[in-house]
Amino acid sequence: MKNLISLDSLTDIVSNSVGILIIFAVINLIHDNNKTYQLEIPLEHETDLAPVFFMCKDDRIIKMDTDTLFTNAAMQATHGVAGAKRIFPLDYKGLFGKIDKQNGISFYVNDTREWPPFQAIEKRSSDIRKALQEIDPKKQFAYFFVYDTSNEDSANGSGFEAFRTAREFLKQRAVKSGWQPVNSEAPARICDLSFSPRCSYLPSYLGN
Amino acid sequence: MNRATRHARYLPDNKLEISLFPFLSIFLCVMGVLSFINILNSFSAPQKIEMSAQLEQGYKVAYQIFNLPDGVIRVPPIKHLRNLQKALDEEGKSILEDIIAQREQQIRRLESYKGPIKQAAREPEVDDILEMLHNIRTINELALKANYLYEEFLLFGIYPNGGQAYQKIRDVMTFTQDSASITVGLEPLDSNWTLNLKRHTDQPQGK
Repeated sequence: MKNLISLDSLTDIVSNSVGILIIFAVINLIHDNNKTYQLEIPLEHETDLAPVFFMCKDDRIIKMDTDTLFTNAAMQATHGVAGAKRIFPLDYKGLFGKIDKQNGISFYVNDTREWPPFQAIEKRSSDIRKALQEIDPKKQFAYFFVYDTSNEDSANGSGFEAFRTAREFLKQRAVKSGWQPVNSEAPARICDLSFSPRCSYLPSYLGN
Repeated sequence: MNRATRHARYLPDNKLEISLFPFLSIFLCVMGVLSFINILNSFSAPQKIEMSAQLEQGYKVAYQIFNLPDGVIRVPPIKHLRNLQKALDEEGKSILEDIIAQREQQIRRLESYKGPIKQAAREPEVDDILEMLHNIRTINELALKANYLYEEFLLFGIYPNGGQAYQKIRDVMTFTQDSASITVGLEPLDSNWTLNLKRHTDQPQGK
């Protein structure tokens, strides 16, 4: 009974596997140190297309319905809430706004829990997918305000992944897109180019 | 060899038997750890990246700016400047010589940095941004004047929490004429992507 199973061959196999793994690890290390990934980045360019605004934060994404947002902001302004550069609620998907002469309307976000996660883009019936599909590539392009803020110094929690997913979806539909990083110190702003040179929204993705 | 000796060789003797089980156990542990390290390495190891423009034409060269929470790392292109210099007149050569020297010093400073390269990020000063934009414009204009196919543009890589520095540079760009003709591209970067300095210094010019 003592020699029921011989461990000789098993030990041989396992020790060989360990050797191979060590070789793999060393090759991996050398290979990774020399390998450089080429990242192809789209360039901003002038266009006659109109921007459709989106906002990405905490791996979530929303379409910014500018008609509703501007109407709500105008109503708040009439009621005097928007005066003295105060931040006021816009009654739209948890967004807050601030109006000033230099920046136009700035948008702030407090809570994104009601926003759809970016994975919803893959779902056929989701509102965000419909919003992206409604963009007419001959007349419009998508412009993303992407929050770069993340707590763990990783892309998780920022809007990067949501932006990349949406951009890839739009690319398949030949829709151009552009973006800019935003955060609470430098919030998303929508204004006219005549207002300030910073109010320029250009597509940077060729979409083909 | 007589029969007795031969017989003795094959007798079940009381030789020292070593159990292989502890070895097997250790080997399996090592194997598990190595597999885990290999998998972890493939997911989290810093990947060196180099940014280039999509559909880039051969003569367009990127001035890379990596935007990190602590500031920016600027990686100016120097590879093709010596060739451009040969095509210029004396005045142009001297202007470009100053810019090349400045850029080589910048790259040397980055290369000599001890520790993780991302920690070399510095808060962008307005004067530095203006000088950088002016130099890019000067180079592009010199190349155009000499009918030499060379154009520099800005590529921004934005790391998580790195948008502040980018906004600062773009703000400066709005009020200087030097940036009017400079093309810009930007891309979000993952925190485990790191820049590759070696490719920029593989062929140091003029040394």
